[in-house]
Amino acid sequence: MPAVQETIDQVRQIDVDQYKYGFETTIEMDKAPKGLSEDIIRLISSKKNEPEWMLEWRLQAYSRWQTMEEPSWARVRYPKIDFNDLHYYAAPKSTSGPKSLDEVDPELLRVYEKLGIPLKEQEILAGVEKSRIAVDAVFDSVSVVTTFKEELKKAGVIFMSISEAMREHPDLVRKYLGTVVPQSDNFYATLNSAVFTDGSFVYVPKGVRCPMELSTYFRINEKNTGQFERTLIIADEGAYVSYLEGCTAPQRDENQLHAAVVELIALDDAEIKYSTVQNWYPGDKQGKGGIYNFVTKRGDCRGKNSKISWTQVETGSAITWKYPSCILRGDGSRGEFYSIAVSNGHQQIDSGTKMIHLGKNTSSRIISKGIAAGVSENTYRGQVSAHRKAENARNFTQCDSLLIGDRCGAHTVPYIEAKNSTAQFEHEATTSKISEDQLFYCLQRGIPEEAAIALIVNGFVKEVIQELPMEFAVEAQKLIGISLEGSVG
Amino acid sequence: MLEIKNLHARIAEDGTEIIRGLNLTVKAGEVAAIMGPNGSGKSTLSYILSGREDYEVTEGDILYNGESILELDASERAAKGIFLAFQYPVEIPGVATMQFLKVAMNEQRKYRGEDELTTPEFMRRVKEAAAELKIAPEMLRRPLNVGFSGGEKKRAEILQMALLEPKLCVLDETDSGLDIDALKIVADGVNALRSPDRAVVVITHYQRLLNYIVPDTVHVLYKGQVIKSGDKTLAHELEANGYAEIIEAAA
Amino acid sequence: MNMQQAIKMTAAETALVDAYTAQIGDLPGDGAVLSLRDTLVHELKTSGLPTRRVEAWHYTDLRTLLRAVPAADPTAFAERVDPLVPGSSVLSVRNGQADIKNVPEQLTVRSYTESLLDGSAAAGLSVLGADDAIGRINGGLVRGGLEIAVAAGVEIEAPVEIQVVQSHGQAHTRFPVSFGAGAKATVIERHLSTNAEQSFVSSVSDVTLAEGADVIWIILQQQGPADTHLGQIRFDLGKDAKLHLFVINAGGKLVRQELHGRATGEGADLTLRGINLLGGESHTDLTFTLSHDVPHTTSSEIIRNVVFDRAKGVFQGKILVAQDAQKTDAKMSCNTLLLSDDADFSAKPELEIFADDVQCGHGATVIDIDHTQLFYLLARGIPENKARAMLVNAFVAEIVEELEDDEDLVESLESVISAWLEKHA
Repeated sequence: MPAVQETIDQVRQIDVDQYKYGFETTIEMDKAPKGLSEDIIRLISSKKNEPEWMLEWRLQAYSRWQTMEEPSWARVRYPKIDFNDLHYYAAPKSTSGPKSLDEVDPELLRVYEKLGIPLKEQEILAGVEKSRIAVDAVFDSVSVVTTFKEELKKAGVIFMSISEAMREHPDLVRKYLGTVVPQSDNFYATLNSAVFTDGSFVYVPKGVRCPMELSTYFRINEKNTGQFERTLIIADEGAYVSYLEGCTAPQRDENQLHAAVVELIALDDAEIKYSTVQNWYPGDKQGKGGIYNFVTKRGDCRGKNSKISWTQVETGSAITWKYPSCILRGDGSRGEFYSIAVSNGHQQIDSGTKMIHLGKNTSSRIISKGIAAGVSENTYRGQVSAHRKAENARNFTQCDSLLIGDRCGAHTVPYIEAKNSTAQFEHEATTSKISEDQLFYCLQRGIPEEAAIALIVNGFVKEVIQELPMEFAVEAQKLIGISLEGSVG
Repeated sequence: MLEIKNLHARIAEDGTEIIRGLNLTVKAGEVAAIMGPNGSGKSTLSYILSGREDYEVTEGDILYNGESILELDASERAAKGIFLAFQYPVEIPGVATMQFLKVAMNEQRKYRGEDELTTPEFMRRVKEAAAELKIAPEMLRRPLNVGFSGGEKKRAEILQMALLEPKLCVLDETDSGLDIDALKIVADGVNALRSPDRAVVVITHYQRLLNYIVPDTVHVLYKGQVIKSGDKTLAHELEANGYAEIIEAAA
Repeated sequence: MNMQQAIKMTAAETALVDAYTAQIGDLPGDGAVLSLRDTLVHELKTSGLPTRRVEAWHYTDLRTLLRAVPAADPTAFAERVDPLVPGSSVLSVRNGQADIKNVPEQLTVRSYTESLLDGSAAAGLSVLGADDAIGRINGGLVRGGLEIAVAAGVEIEAPVEIQVVQSHGQAHTRFPVSFGAGAKATVIERHLSTNAEQSFVSSVSDVTLAEGADVIWIILQQQGPADTHLGQIRFDLGKDAKLHLFVINAGGKLVRQELHGRATGEGADLTLRGINLLGGESHTDLTFTLSHDVPHTTSSEIIRNVVFDRAKGVFQGKILVAQDAQKTDAKMSCNTLLLSDDADFSAKPELEIFADDVQCGHGATVIDIDHTQLFYLLARGIPENKARAMLVNAFVAEIVEELEDDEDLVESLESVISAWLEKHA
């Protein structure tokens, strides 16, 4: 699942400026013409054999979107996006619903292998004693294959692409889609609602502990393609699921847009753990190219004593605009946000979370570690609010920034709102740099400068790394090291 | 093994000259003590030997096994076998001591073209060395030097020295902040490392440490120069009469 | 999208523009000042009062909150009151008109109206940025105030109280104050209302500290329960200058007190302490920005808030560290005690950092009364209401005690706090 050692070693050998997943694959694509219109939306919907209500929902979102403006409050700068210069649908030609891996274009499988996700292996290894992960792979706009489907089915877990779910489990999709991130939530979410092409769907039934980690790998391959995936995860009463998301894109000169929506719903006593390692192409040394990552992720702790935990490692993208949030509606529910955001070169990150305490005895915890290097800008923006009825709401926030070099910026913008006298919030933030003493100490022990920085930075982010599933943790630590290469000297 | 010739060095930031024409030779197998009053340049010398960038060498040379090391950075010097036991070991939160040891040992091996240690081999070495120095395994699981007492920090320095097997050990005021028991443990650790192919430079303010680590030569540093050299009796002289006499004689 | 559409002016916006139009021939100023006033009022008219969509006004939607503005009443009459600290020199400004009698010898004082008339005030009338609604309103409508200079090397023993008293109507005042190199003084900027009638007050202080000046500046806001108070202090700290800025909000219906400073000389140091005592149906906003422009400057900020009844409180604090400002040391904290379920408090403590060799941090807490402490007091036989009052008092008194060098000042501030708490708790 995560990059194999080989890949990492190869990457270490190439030039610092090289992005490790920056290869392009030539696969025959089925593409919609550029531009956005009702016709394009109808086309997407018909390509996916969607039910009529879904098309209506999309069209409604589209007409709403046309009246909206791009948000400007985030601390990011980029030229105006021409939304009519994008393809809103691109799919590998031969993937009209593969039933198993054997039907998948072998070229595509090789792509995923290069990414360190040997899908085949995953299935072959199925009988072996080893942690196993079911993978749903999304290539440009469509889900190409989901592994382990059969085994999950036995446990009653539904894990498939959302298009498939719309056909096979329309009632579930209809019941939950858009209930956490409403159609008109924000500019990008509304755009996504109109044009989303695929994504993953997970439903874990009552009392079921999902027997393996679920994972989705997103890859943008086509030029001028917007990727608009939509993920919907429902943990029914007492259920538990851990979900991992990874992302890559090839190196390109122009910017590519990624505007996903992720909705999580945890019912009574359910728990969802959602981890992301985001490694989209960040652009080159001059700041050319790279992904615009404008993502809306939100979890709804709808049931009592439910829990949603977000963990993210953000190392890629030219611009990241992302606030995985929790609505703590159920009494006794708990939200967590653990984040590492690394920016180097010309990257801009404006990321954080919202913890909205609505129910009684709700608690939340935010640990954010920002690392800025190069000429990047790294902003933590987070909101914690306790509403009138949120008796005994509790929050702890720790938000630390580390600067490497004196041409980058680290910013902290917390919004703390208490409307209940029994609420107790604690927020702490610090900004510092790697001390000369620490660095010299490592050098004196024979550790070269870049390795020393990676070591110290990994120490700085440890609290968050610990929250990641084992396989992701190793990958994340290496990614952080790679992302910071060339940041000194 | 170590030959310092007419060394002049200053603080890079403000140009203050600290070392002013220092000459010193330390042979393999030798334990050399460097003594001197506060501000004589003792700690600066240890930083310059190990390659700290805050100091600039303006004249002279440092030869290590016959080669100049001035162009090498700190990690290269370390990998070549120069070890500095810090007066104030630095705390690095979040980095486990074990992890740090492993990275340091393997990076040095890599630099020298040796194979990396396997995890069991690494563990075996650490356990053995830690037991010698009476370091509890629990301490090694903590973040590097974080929350260590003064004595624990110094013992951890000697542990690193034992594991990294340097050729030239520079101990900067290793006795500061140690009670007598801790001092003995540390001194035993250093003595265990004495060997014909290894040199030790002990920088200290007091003679006390030299009762436990007995030097072959003693050098008095004053205003950035060695103003007097002798054998271990020189240290006793200093203890008895102070620096004033020697300084006057040299002036 | 709707930016182009002309906004429909609210009653308050209309009242402010009307106030200007009504006094147009009467407002003091030379040509430059008058044309500046025109520009400012025009901006107010076209962009309106700020809404929550303006980030700097996120928690104080002035356009919605400011429902009405009382008309200016030139016949309003307010009497001067006893100074906060006995023995202070009092410079009073009543209903917007300065009284420059009894000026202590060590000060150079001039009526700000004169500066408006001769045009020397023009440069200082500019706004701090597009979001500076207070600067805009005040600049458009200001009639008086005091221009004060403390010469280099002068040390003033007794506190100087700038007493801004108001009965009703409107008052817009300004206070450019300069402290020469090495000057030392304690200034109490005190805003109060003599009755419960509605007032609309704006006030801008513009304070500069030259090299090595050492100043304690207290802002004590005690407006009436129906009053709107829009206050602003701008300060500039030169080399090794030291400012201890102490703000107490203990009154008003709609209050925004802004503190905007720059540390422009190496070695400059700011200590900010703020206490917000909030009760009734009030809305109080304390907004602070400090820009560390040069290396080796320090600042420390502590804000304590106690919120009763249906009061709403806001603290926005922003520390900026410029790229050159290495070795900056800045610590900010904001602690809130919410004492009613109908009360609310929002805090936005920001760091904006462009230099890497700095130590900057902030902390914010919202807490309840410590139950073990409360229990301890109860167990010693202290009745609950008394015990609570003691704990609340302790929570804010802590930062007053830092001014220990001046016992009379500490005592006076403590009595303001305990009087307020007795009335509201």
